[in-house]
Amino acid sequence: MFAVAEVPPALAAAAAPTPAAAPVPAAAPVPAAAPVPAAAPVPAAAPVPTRRTRLWYAVVFPHLLVPPSTAAAGAPPPGLEVLCLHAQSFTSCVSIEPPNALLLEVKGSLRLFESLEHLHGLLDARWQSLGITTHSAIAPSTLAALWCARVGFSACIHEPTLLASRLASLPVACTVWDAERLRSLRSMGITRLGELLRLPRAGLARRLGVAAVRDLDIATGREAEPRRAFVARQRFRERMDFEAEIENVAYLERACEPVLGRCARFLRERQAGVQALQLRLRHRDGPATLVRLGLAGITGEQRRLADVLGERLARVELPAPVRALELVSGRLQPLSAASLDVFGACGRGAGPDTAQRLVERLRARLGESAVYGVAAIPDHRPEAAWRRVQELLLDPDGAPLANAAAAAVPWDPMPRPLWLFDMPVLLADAKSPQRQGWVLEHGPERIESGWWDGKGVARDYYCVREGHGGKLWIFQERRTKSWYLHGVFA
Amino acid sequence: MACFGAAKMWMPRESSSLADLLADARVWKLKDASAAPSRPVWSTGNSALDARLPGGGWPTASLVEVLIGATGLGEVQLFLPALVECQRKADVEIPWLVWIAPPYEPYAPALAQQGIDLARLLVVQPATATEALWAAEQALGSGVCAAVLLWLKGTDDRWLRRLKLAAEAGRALGVLFRPERHRFESSPASLRLALTSAQSGAQTAPQPRLELLKVQGGRPGFVDLAAP
Repeated sequence: MFAVAEVPPALAAAAAPTPAAAPVPAAAPVPAAAPVPAAAPVPAAAPVPTRRTRLWYAVVFPHLLVPPSTAAAGAPPPGLEVLCLHAQSFTSCVSIEPPNALLLEVKGSLRLFESLEHLHGLLDARWQSLGITTHSAIAPSTLAALWCARVGFSACIHEPTLLASRLASLPVACTVWDAERLRSLRSMGITRLGELLRLPRAGLARRLGVAAVRDLDIATGREAEPRRAFVARQRFRERMDFEAEIENVAYLERACEPVLGRCARFLRERQAGVQALQLRLRHRDGPATLVRLGLAGITGEQRRLADVLGERLARVELPAPVRALELVSGRLQPLSAASLDVFGACGRGAGPDTAQRLVERLRARLGESAVYGVAAIPDHRPEAAWRRVQELLLDPDGAPLANAAAAAVPWDPMPRPLWLFDMPVLLADAKSPQRQGWVLEHGPERIESGWWDGKGVARDYYCVREGHGGKLWIFQERRTKSWYLHGVFA
Repeated sequence: MACFGAAKMWMPRESSSLADLLADARVWKLKDASAAPSRPVWSTGNSALDARLPGGGWPTASLVEVLIGATGLGEVQLFLPALVECQRKADVEIPWLVWIAPPYEPYAPALAQQGIDLARLLVVQPATATEALWAAEQALGSGVCAAVLLWLKGTDDRWLRRLKLAAEAGRALGVLFRPERHRFESSPASLRLALTSAQSGAQTAPQPRLELLKVQGGRPGFVDLAAP
């Protein structure tokens, strides 16, 4: 309302405590000129939003217990996430401020809750009903609200221009800067923020670091600091108790179907998929049996989940009859458009089998490491020229790329055996190729490489045909002159 | 009367005509090797062998059994040209090749040298023979694999029948490698070969010898692979 009248003196006041602000153009005469032309034609009485400011409500929970493990990792304590869910019933933008504070953007909620006083009252009532001690403050900048709340100064600042003057009386310790910075401030004789704001900027930046000056800028509203809204982690979790105990795994698979169907619907509503599922089978006594499911790709299709679950359950040995089961989904992941099926909702039996589903089924029963691909590596040493690949290119679109990569590798024109032994087999003297009467088909091919990584080889390779007609790949170690069998041409 | 009854049993649906029924992979027609095949075949890359096989190549959507005297006789090499060709000719999506329980590690550079698309090759190493058979049935019946190669020490007739049905349902070529000692056991495979070492002249290198044991729609006997 009175913003227009107040702007020039307030800006002057805001600029006054920092005479050294001259090099920064933002604090120079520019702001004084900017709001005036926009505001001049407007009658002073009209309710005009002079600036697009936000209003932050900070709440600090001084008695919240922070487990040392989460404090060390920098993660928010679990209790704060629960409180965050409460706060989300008042505004969509809630950010967690470790270790023990929340920051709510309330400007966007004012119309819904009619007035700031009403909203403030509702928030305080919510914390009281939870039986928690809180300190709260409202300010147009994030750090100002937090700092006020930390020292228990329940301020309610509406105007960004008033920030500097209202923060002046706060003790410096509310900034929770590191101990060394606070100690140097104390040695300078500064205890209040007001004294700090009066100091020249350049000197302040030199003594306390640029980060401290930036904090002050944010607190006084000269610089904006956006916050990321907290998004609660979502999972599907459902428990089902059976009327009778189930002993047979086949029945268990049927019993899982309705829960799995609800899980698939839950995922479909959120346009999300999962890559892991956990099934907990509870018995009358003894620990629950855990069944973990891993999928080759992100999916929300009931049929695929049921396929994998069926294969996995077939391998489970039940220690006791099952009384209840609980299905817990892994982290929800956004579904890519390619894996959606037009008729996906039509139920089981729709759509052909895909490579992805086949690999999932095989892996569910045989184990992750039993199903793999192979890739060639451009290396002259035979044993270093290939590797196993666990991440398969199951996406049909990915194939041409891999094809091009394979074609780019320059292949040795020399023949290579189809079976390569993990370790070359030493041929005893009595079995040396000459004595065996093996017939040379191809060779020698000298391979001398790898001196740089300590696994150097110096060998002469030959293709020979042995007495029974088998084609072998043998080599002679150049140093020791001993013969080895390294592969078979199958 | 009996004939009518049989005819009814053969026609589950009104719409199926005689031609449809004959195109079904499960129907075995006796005919000579020169007749046009009802389903596609893959050339073996060897003209002498092609001439002896009905349709002129490896049959698809069926089970082929290879009995090997020893490893290293070129048993996989028999099939590699056909596998490369079927991957290269694929118009929509390159089909998968699945190798189940190979006796040694398949050597990637050798396969790439031959032209196999390694991005579409799946190696499965199951712990037991039963799991290998199960994996083979799954892969054959999935419809995404062009060929499934399976190495086994021994298996029973019932499992082989299941593999054959899965191969027909999934339109895939199933190749089963078994030791030669199973030569005299009955097998539902539509094509049975034996690859053994020949005891030829003492001075020349022994060459592996291929014998057709059972050919549906063809004549069994020895095949000279070295012939032009």
